Amino acid sequence: MRALHAGCVRALHAEWTKLRTLASTWWLLAAVPVLTVVLGTAAAASASRTCPSRALCHADTVRLSLTGVWLSQALCLVLGVLAMGAEYGTGTIGVTLAAVPLRRRVLAAKAAVVALSTGVAAAAAVPLALAAARLVVPVPGPQARAAVGSVFCLVLVALLGLGLATLLRDTAAALTLGLGLLYAVPLLAELLPSVSWQHRLQRWAPMPAGLSVQWTRDLDRLVIGPWAGLGVLAAYAVGLLTAGGVAFRLRDA
Amino acid sequence: MSDATIEVRNLRKRFGRTLAVDGLSFTVEPGTVTGFVGPNGAGKSTTLRALLGLDAPDEGRALVCGRPYHALRTPLLEVGALLDAAAVHPGRRGRDHLLWLAHSHGLPARRADEVLEQVGMEGAARRKAGGYSLGMRQRLGIAAALLGDPSVLLLDEPVNGLDPEGIQWIRALLRGLAAEGRAILVSSHLMSELEDTADHLVVIGRGRLIADTSVADLLSAASGDRVRVRTDARTAAMELLTREGATVAVTDRDTLTVTGLPAQRIVELLSARGIPVAEVGAHRATLEEAYMELTRTSAEFTATAPRETAPDGERDTDTADTADSVDSPQSTDRPQITDSAQATDSAQATDSAQAADATDTGAGR
Repeated sequence: MRALHAGCVRALHAEWTKLRTLASTWWLLAAVPVLTVVLGTAAAASASRTCPSRALCHADTVRLSLTGVWLSQALCLVLGVLAMGAEYGTGTIGVTLAAVPLRRRVLAAKAAVVALSTGVAAAAAVPLALAAARLVVPVPGPQARAAVGSVFCLVLVALLGLGLATLLRDTAAALTLGLGLLYAVPLLAELLPSVSWQHRLQRWAPMPAGLSVQWTRDLDRLVIGPWAGLGVLAAYAVGLLTAGGVAFRLRDA
Repeated sequence: MSDATIEVRNLRKRFGRTLAVDGLSFTVEPGTVTGFVGPNGAGKSTTLRALLGLDAPDEGRALVCGRPYHALRTPLLEVGALLDAAAVHPGRRGRDHLLWLAHSHGLPARRADEVLEQVGMEGAARRKAGGYSLGMRQRLGIAAALLGDPSVLLLDEPVNGLDPEGIQWIRALLRGLAAEGRAILVSSHLMSELEDTADHLVVIGRGRLIADTSVADLLSAASGDRVRVRTDARTAAMELLTREGATVAVTDRDTLTVTGLPAQRIVELLSARGIPVAEVGAHRATLEEAYMELTRTSAEFTATAPRETAPDGERDTDTADTADSVDSPQSTDRPQITDSAQATDSAQATDSAQAADATDTGAGR
């Protein structure tokens, strides 16, 4: 039991060293708060007409001030994809598995360090974005669910990227599919002639479902509940990680 | 280091329609450097990948230290491997590459610095690996293999990309590591790279074992009882010795390789006829020649070698029969690496390699 524990801690340590010794990690993690704050503040500022004061506010300013999360998800996706995709791209996967032969452990350690690093970046980005938006527009209403949910969104998208890259073993393919799944599917939904199909797609597409957790008013207009929507995104992340993990264990490296 | 062994038993591995390894068995004992030789695509890398648990065998076993790789609790402390020197993230500094490996086994950062010093990479350790030359990547890969001070080493083409100084260095390193009781398996598609390094050879072709032999046995078998004779009257000497029952092959403009007669008898015969003899000596085969001899009879090698039409000329008729060796696993555009012991032969290394093959075919003319 102790040996098992030590093995897990060492695998975590190794994966963390791998992640922190790449400049790209720090650029991506630093860009998350920057993008989230800048985009959120800009979106909130655009709502200053519909929300001139706290009492007369007709906009979901909490959601608007967290608009940046929409784009920061792409950064998190890239971070998650690179954590595994770069191993296949550079051939270090062989070295990794020679050092940690238990493939489950490798994937679990990667998932942990990816989730932790994006989680820290997101936990910095979200309150900063809310605070910055408050400078340009009143931000009334409950914020806890939107804030916590946004952090989860970013972490889950990073894990989704890790799962995709593990499954596909290729950075470019995983990024293309990941970005398509996040950004293209909602766009395609808009083009559908049938409203019921539009709603179906919005409900089951990972990004619109996940971001519904940011809504603080007019919840009746949501096609899926806030937490249920986040659950859909979580299902995608867990599903892809599981599928990736099974393939990782069964395939030759 | 009591259980420092590598054991491959009836290993079989298929990729799609290609049978990469076909029932391969061999063992590497502690304290030896075993050369793992075969042409490109013979199944060397697949065997090494199976030993490291990267590829699952379809049949048979690949064991290190008596166990399958995934059963090792702290694999880097028992097995060090270099599979692909290019397998380093170009954006990561060389030292950091070793650092994460060290952390995977709870080893201190000091250990990374020690192996960097051992391979002579201290200077470049804090540069990004993307800027490394192939030789530097090889050294970094060897440092990674040595990180856990393992009793078993698996090195896939470690000499590839090293300069002559680096080749000398790795030979000394491998000899030293073997002398400490480690089991070392070094793959190569160039036999000459293993000259003076390997004690034992495992030769494979198309995934099958061709030879599992000690280098000493192989060399003495290949050298046989051949005698090298240098004479200005080549034709006369050939006629005489052939008549006396010897098998004579032309090695060079003034050199013959004679089989079937002891050196003393040759000198007697030639002197009696007044044929001038410049030099008579026992022929010592190089590892490359021995390899040619070994693989010449193996369909795995000859079937793939293109045959060339020999131009006219007496000397060329000898090489025509052995066109295989022209396009042999020893590629001719690479520098021939020969130690001082073989220095006398190395000047005509290609010629003598062909002549070794020509010995039989040139008989009776």
